[in-house]
Amino acid sequence: MGPNIQGIPFSLGMQATINVIKTGMSGGMPAFGGQLSATQIQHVVQYLLTLRKQDAFKITGDAARGKEVYEASGCASCHMIDGQGGDSAPDLSNVGTLRTGGYLHTTILYPGSDLPQQHLFLETGGKLDYLFVHVVTNAGQALDGTRVVEDSFRIVIEDAKGNFHSFDKSNLRELKEEPGKSLMPSYKGKLSDAQVNDLVAYLASLKEAQ
Amino acid sequence: MRLAKRMLVFAALTLAIAGVSVAQDVPYQRILHSDSEPQNWLTYGGNYGSQRFSRLTQINTKNVAQLKVAWIYQPSRAVANVETSPIVVDGIMYVTEPPSTVTAIDARTGLRLWSWSPKMPDHLVLIGLYGNSRGVAILDKTVYVGTADAHLVALDAKTGGVKWDVHVADNRFGYSMSGPPLAIDGKVIVGTGGSEAAVRGLLDCYDAKTGKRLWRVWTVPRLGEPGADTWGPGASQSAGGTTWNNGSYDPATNTIYWGTGNPAPDFNDDDRPGDNLYTCSLLAIDANTGQIKWYFQFSPHENHDWDSAEPPVLFNAKIDGKMRHLVALANRNAFYYVLDRDTGQFITGVPFAKETWAKGLDAKGRPILNPDQQPTLGQGTLVYPSITGAVDWPSPSYSPQTGLFYVSAHETGAYYIKGTGEIEPGAPKGIVGGGGVKALAGDQSYGAIRALVATTGKLRWQYKLFSPAWVGTLATAGGLVFTGSDEGNFFALDASTGKLLWQFYMGHGLRSNPVTYALDGKQYVFVTAGNAYVTFTLP
Repeated sequence: MGPNIQGIPFSLGMQATINVIKTGMSGGMPAFGGQLSATQIQHVVQYLLTLRKQDAFKITGDAARGKEVYEASGCASCHMIDGQGGDSAPDLSNVGTLRTGGYLHTTILYPGSDLPQQHLFLETGGKLDYLFVHVVTNAGQALDGTRVVEDSFRIVIEDAKGNFHSFDKSNLRELKEEPGKSLMPSYKGKLSDAQVNDLVAYLASLKEAQ
Repeated sequence: MRLAKRMLVFAALTLAIAGVSVAQDVPYQRILHSDSEPQNWLTYGGNYGSQRFSRLTQINTKNVAQLKVAWIYQPSRAVANVETSPIVVDGIMYVTEPPSTVTAIDARTGLRLWSWSPKMPDHLVLIGLYGNSRGVAILDKTVYVGTADAHLVALDAKTGGVKWDVHVADNRFGYSMSGPPLAIDGKVIVGTGGSEAAVRGLLDCYDAKTGKRLWRVWTVPRLGEPGADTWGPGASQSAGGTTWNNGSYDPATNTIYWGTGNPAPDFNDDDRPGDNLYTCSLLAIDANTGQIKWYFQFSPHENHDWDSAEPPVLFNAKIDGKMRHLVALANRNAFYYVLDRDTGQFITGVPFAKETWAKGLDAKGRPILNPDQQPTLGQGTLVYPSITGAVDWPSPSYSPQTGLFYVSAHETGAYYIKGTGEIEPGAPKGIVGGGGVKALAGDQSYGAIRALVATTGKLRWQYKLFSPAWVGTLATAGGLVFTGSDEGNFFALDASTGKLLWQFYMGHGLRSNPVTYALDGKQYVFVTAGNAYVTFTLP
């Protein structure tokens, strides 16, 4: 029915967004000025501001072919969909709801380049999810992995095989956090553009049953 | 005679073996000299100067690593983020539970002695704040609490029975209380929150025995009142300047020190040109009359939600070789200030966390603004610190031993977005005016425990934290600073060096100010995390 409202306050501006909610728009958007107070409209706009940025990416691939690409490329050795596959990487059963097409496209080609937020609170800021870390213990043991959880004193890392390793930071000689890196290999050059687009279409179709 | 002596010995023995808690009675003289009974924690801030410093030394740098949980108390129903800092008197601990329940706990065992909850309105108005309580005050045989619906209630310390209950302000308009009252000689002082609902800030003083109001300070003037010219046309409905945290008291001059919040509306200053007195200020108030003796405005014409309601810390120290009566405040705006508390004269002010909004402070302490740091339409403006400031309500501490001021600092910015700024007359339905804020993404935000030289604000040491933390600091004569993290760690640092000496994972982010006390010859350290009220001691 209506347009995708993600990012509307940013593209339209705050005041214009407020005006649209107040007075409506020709073509179907009713005026809410009568039933919502100025503060309630303000709240709606504040909510819109929290929505994710707009994604200009257009899904052009074929989801059925993408499923074949997924199966042929070894994705399932690490990822799981509806209970089938490996468990060392994120479960993708619902990834079409969680991630936009553009995000999936970027991540297949450049894993780790645009990490999602673990949480984002005004009070404490955000933390990156799936952050690549390299640690070296005081005893000299080195390990690469993905950060699962961290506090000021400890960190838990998941290695490429899906094993968890927990460390007291005082026992680490080195703790290097490297956004941009990932345990997942890049498929740039390994898959054709068409294959990547098909794969994106397939992943974007994976949505929780309504 | 002999019998009496024997009974006395018996009583002392009973006290030692069974752990007797004597009848609760805390006359003003005891609070005045609270430093002489460090086994108790008699005011929210640890003493009238809000120093949160304890003279107890049993737990110290040598043995703190052995601390163990002594007991855990949890409310009868699950709540989120307990923010209470207790009063501990002669074996009994008084805590609050969200939103406004007062509970007396046997400090030896953690068992609940009594609990009192107010009847709340069906539609509690909480705008820009959470329904929570950060603690109580005690005086004589009475415990005082401010409630989420803006009542000040006096409870019998022994039974929890209500002695009196006064309606301080109308919750339907957004007045609400989370900060602890301050009890002085025969008087109870309490403030309220509600700036986001555009209420008019006030600070009230009540007769401790009867609940009769003795004076009220309106923190923002209306037309015709002194200071109204600092609001332009906005003076007809000037709002904000609320008093939602705890204040301090100097008995020598009978002066109350209390910080005020931001002007309303937030993030939109179109209709309130001028300094907007007395918002974002420290007020020095005559405790007898309620007259403002002096004020110091930290952030004139504030527009980022940086309240100045942080606890003012009173101490005496030498400045240029001369002993001075000082008040220090680590402000949400990221500057640490030292003022002469007798005159309000600015002595020094320096940033204690990253800030981008001011070039610095002038000779009188007024900020020299950077351009382009105001909220804007659209994507907003990136400004440091973030809306919750370089520090928020959690209390700092001051150690007379080290001369250091310990503050848990937030290192984070935010995108500030301008709103419409309309104030609607009548009971508010939501945040008045206001725009929006976007937090910094990724791992960019962090926290740090910072030890500042109290007289200069110079950084002596810091201990970095994974995230900005919402936990006060507690300094002790055992050479320790106790504080916590948002991830759920309670920990102790060496007060002189900042070295980590102990940490304990509590399973939920901490949101309160730790305290310490002693019973039966054992020192305890207490803090809350999530639903849990936890006390620690040595094995």
